[in-house]
Amino acid sequence: TMLPLLLLLLPAARAAVEHVGYKPILAKDPPLEGQTTASTFVLDQPRCVFDNYGNADIWLVVALSQTAANFSNSVEPGTPESAFQRFPASVPAYMTLNATLANYPCPKRRGDITVLRVGSETSCAQDMARSTCNGPLPGPGPYRVKFLALEGSEPVAETEWSEPITLKTAKLPSSISTTDGRHSGGMIALTTILTILFAILLAGLVAML
Amino acid sequence: MAKSDDCVHILQGLLVFGNVVIGMCGIALTAECIYFVTDPHGLYPLLEATENNDVYAAAWIGIFVGFALFALSILGIIGVLKADRTLLLVYIILMLITFAFEMASCITAATHRDFLTPNLFLKQMLERYQKSDPANNNDQRMIEGVTKTWDKLMLQNHCCGVLGPSDWQNYTSAFRVTHSDADFPWPRKCCVMDAQGVPANLDGCKLGVPGYYNSNGCYDAISGPMNTHAWGVAWFGFAILCWTFCVLLGTMFYWSGIEY
Repeated sequence: TMLPLLLLLLPAARAAVEHVGYKPILAKDPPLEGQTTASTFVLDQPRCVFDNYGNADIWLVVALSQTAANFSNSVEPGTPESAFQRFPASVPAYMTLNATLANYPCPKRRGDITVLRVGSETSCAQDMARSTCNGPLPGPGPYRVKFLALEGSEPVAETEWSEPITLKTAKLPSSISTTDGRHSGGMIALTTILTILFAILLAGLVAML
Repeated sequence: MAKSDDCVHILQGLLVFGNVVIGMCGIALTAECIYFVTDPHGLYPLLEATENNDVYAAAWIGIFVGFALFALSILGIIGVLKADRTLLLVYIILMLITFAFEMASCITAATHRDFLTPNLFLKQMLERYQKSDPANNNDQRMIEGVTKTWDKLMLQNHCCGVLGPSDWQNYTSAFRVTHSDADFPWPRKCCVMDAQGVPANLDGCKLGVPGYYNSNGCYDAISGPMNTHAWGVAWFGFAILCWTFCVLLGTMFYWSGIEY
């Protein structure tokens, strides 16, 4: 009878992932021109969030807004189930930007710019061998992100999902209208006055001859 | 129509004075137009790529009109002092022809200046800057002109795009075809450079951290010289023509009073 009880207890122990009350946000200080571009966005680093998890690897999980709920914390990084190259066609989310608590010292030193640029690695975007590539995002989104702390391959802590992040969509240059320039008042005055002066001179010439 | 000697002498004096001023203004107009035609700010390739460089045509006409005014003013002075009807008639007719040419130049310069809007330069920059597949030789020449001019503009004036770096984000462009958005949110020339001509902090520039990239647009650097150019030709020419109008009316009056 002891054995079935132990078996029952084990799955319960696995599900103890702490839900840290932090929501990832786009970096706001200092104001960045490139906060969102067509294929990248910039997050604030999660400082003073995972202080209890000195041994954990902190990963960033990026998902589309609609499929964020389909992501399971048991997915391991570096596997095809979380590969950047298979997002979003085959997997609902990918994991990237591996870091440890040492990368996110607390408190933040004054004057440091603490940001994470999501989408900055272009060299590994097609390389299936680098499934944790921080590659450029494949569309305008909207995306949601969260941070997940793993000890070994066990998830131990996670943040909330962020608000949806929408990237920029570029318009075509042929949509720019270049023909809406009206004539300025100066040009109209100049033309009118000169025409009148010339007409007077011609009249004077005719009268004189 | 008999006039007293004093009146005639006053009128002669005024006409000679008027012609001296016209002569000097003619020289000034020639000098000013030569200055504009030499394109000291290097913006001519941008105009050439719009396939409409009327502002330069107006400046060229201004050069020749200036010479003509100077030559005709000398003819006018001689004619007034000798009270010679033939000379003065030739003077009046040639002056009217010059007046017509200068009028065309002023109106062209003013009209074309209204055509050069920020949207025009924005569209041209997006479609031609660093375009990699030219359609023909002409296209290739324009692409090189536009690319070199924009690079020089952005480096020397510490600016980016027409209205700002957001131009490169809000619109697709020929530049975007060969340079990915993640590596080049805007061209490298928009970055603050160090003494060697490389970006001082490339990551800061790509992120858009204030201080590592040029945040203002180049439109002021383009429109400033172009406005000076267009209004210099148009309004100075207009002033000369107003003065010439008065002198010509006076000459016609004087001519009709000369006795055979």
